[in-house]
Amino acid sequence: MQTLKRNILAVPILVWLGLFVGIPLVFVFVLSFLSRDSLGTIVFQFTWENWQRVFDPIYLRVFRNSLLLAFLTGLVTIVVGYPVAYITSNLEPKKRALSIGLIMLPFWISSLLRTYGWMILLGNAGIINNVLRALGIIDKPLPMMYKFGTTLVGTAYMLIPFAIVAIFNSVDKLDRSLLEASYDLGANKRQTFFNITLPLTLPGIAGGFTLVFIPALGLFYVSDLLGGGNTIFLGNMINTQVTRGRNRPLAAAFSIAMIAVVLLVISIYGRIAKDDAEGLFL
Amino acid sequence: MKNQRFSQVVGMLMVALLAVTLVLSADQGAAAAGEINLMTWGGDFIPRAIINEFEAETGIKVNYKEVTSNEDMQSLLEANPNQYDLAVVTDYMVDILRQTGMLAVLDKDQLPNYANINPVYHGPYYDPTDEYSIPYAVSTSLLLVNPAGVEALGAQPITGYNDLWQKELANNVVVVDWSVEIMGIALKALGYEYNETDPVKVAEAREKLFALKPNIVRFETNTPEDSLVNGEAVAGFMYSNQAVKGVQARPDLEPVFPVEGMPIFIDCWVMSKEAPNKEGAYQFLNFIMRPEIAARIADLTKFTSPNKAAEEYLPEDFRNNPMLNLSDEVLENTSFYIAVDKVLDEYEHIYLEFKLR
Repeated sequence: MQTLKRNILAVPILVWLGLFVGIPLVFVFVLSFLSRDSLGTIVFQFTWENWQRVFDPIYLRVFRNSLLLAFLTGLVTIVVGYPVAYITSNLEPKKRALSIGLIMLPFWISSLLRTYGWMILLGNAGIINNVLRALGIIDKPLPMMYKFGTTLVGTAYMLIPFAIVAIFNSVDKLDRSLLEASYDLGANKRQTFFNITLPLTLPGIAGGFTLVFIPALGLFYVSDLLGGGNTIFLGNMINTQVTRGRNRPLAAAFSIAMIAVVLLVISIYGRIAKDDAEGLFL
Repeated sequence: MKNQRFSQVVGMLMVALLAVTLVLSADQGAAAAGEINLMTWGGDFIPRAIINEFEAETGIKVNYKEVTSNEDMQSLLEANPNQYDLAVVTDYMVDILRQTGMLAVLDKDQLPNYANINPVYHGPYYDPTDEYSIPYAVSTSLLLVNPAGVEALGAQPITGYNDLWQKELANNVVVVDWSVEIMGIALKALGYEYNETDPVKVAEAREKLFALKPNIVRFETNTPEDSLVNGEAVAGFMYSNQAVKGVQARPDLEPVFPVEGMPIFIDCWVMSKEAPNKEGAYQFLNFIMRPEIAARIADLTKFTSPNKAAEEYLPEDFRNNPMLNLSDEVLENTSFYIAVDKVLDEYEHIYLEFKLR
């Protein structure tokens, strides 16, 4: 009774999650074992076929593509985001608020629109090529669009605020007296960073990586627009199977498999952030 | 001074209130005469100007739901058949909806303007008895080419699909992103038909298709013509309305009707079996089949009109455009993607392998 009273405020959100996340998820899970006829109508007949196809080598390559993209996106956002977060947390309060505000600002603009922005920037008749041509540095446009790297730039740009904010929280909580102690004991800046700062902010890095990795697995429109549809990722494939492929059970199986990958990543994060009392998820 | 400001604000509020009242009362008037719900592609596929005219004339309000795929329309219709009166779907989807019993049989007595439809569009494979559908917009897929660009790369002029395989065109071809269409190119290039099911021919087409990969710079369904306009590609396989826009933006681009033949699409009106306002739906269908209205729709949307009587109302540049005013010669060399459902699974798999190369 006591616990119920204490947790009563959590009931609405639990009901909400149960109704709108839990039940649909069960539905998708069940769907992944069903068949469909050639017109795309779901047939209530049990089959392993969809799951067999998930482990077909050709589809495993799609998983590999997506994991590679998500991993590299995580890596790039951490490497680029760490200095930003570190410098921001060392600013005086007013400038710090401004810096955080500027980092969050792009979220106010539709992500689709921002992706088109990259196309305007990188295209053959885009801004960068036009400027380089006008300056006489190149005479043929540099082909920068529709490559794996273009997709990576797009996803990293889209998700980097998550990494910066997660690392910022971690750096901000860092006990500065530990750094002073390190200097007092004769360590230089470099030694202090690698022996004190980095290990203590590891939970923030892991949190930022996780927050970037998970959405990067499913961002399909970035690879469609910036990657020119040249490579297939999980998100694209699920999208195609739901619409033009008319195979919703197969799409359901891939969605569940994708969720399994996400859970795996979160559990790894859980281990790294075990000692951090204010972890992201637990 | 302050007072003046106050009265200004009050005046503005009153004008606003009046406007809102007018809009609301107009809405009520329409509601009294009923409303119809239709769904189809966005991008002004049914031009707003035409809908406004229909609303003004009949007092029937038109609710337009924009949808991005035939399959989405199928699921919406299946989920709520009594929520939609009309939909415009592509030929093969008429076939599916007809077979799954989602469509109403159209009462031609209520559609006197149906007589305006060109008889060549009667009795298509997807509706052999013309009971369920009315053709609305005809389009094809064809090649859009930048002849100077092709020459600059040292390739031979492009007359058909086979010319897309020239190795000089590396990274210079843009295509729409759909397995059935891209497999169709390979099959046609080999001299076979679309949606071939013979395993030997399909295997041959698979190998042929894989050889095309190095030439493709981009898969794009919505705006492939942009790649030719901005010079990313010198040849593209796209829908005719996109090619029309490409030529408008850059007159040195040329449409090429591939010698091997090309696919044709007919987007058709269909009525839900449980349509809540069938009477209003008939009025709307009859309205858009009027010759002058059909001509204006064709000109606004850049789709070929199946309305024979509309031809004399079409503007000069429309009638002179070979992509819009399809000659009999070109029409004879077109074919539908029939029985997509029989090949879809296998083609999707081949397409996946193709893209992962």
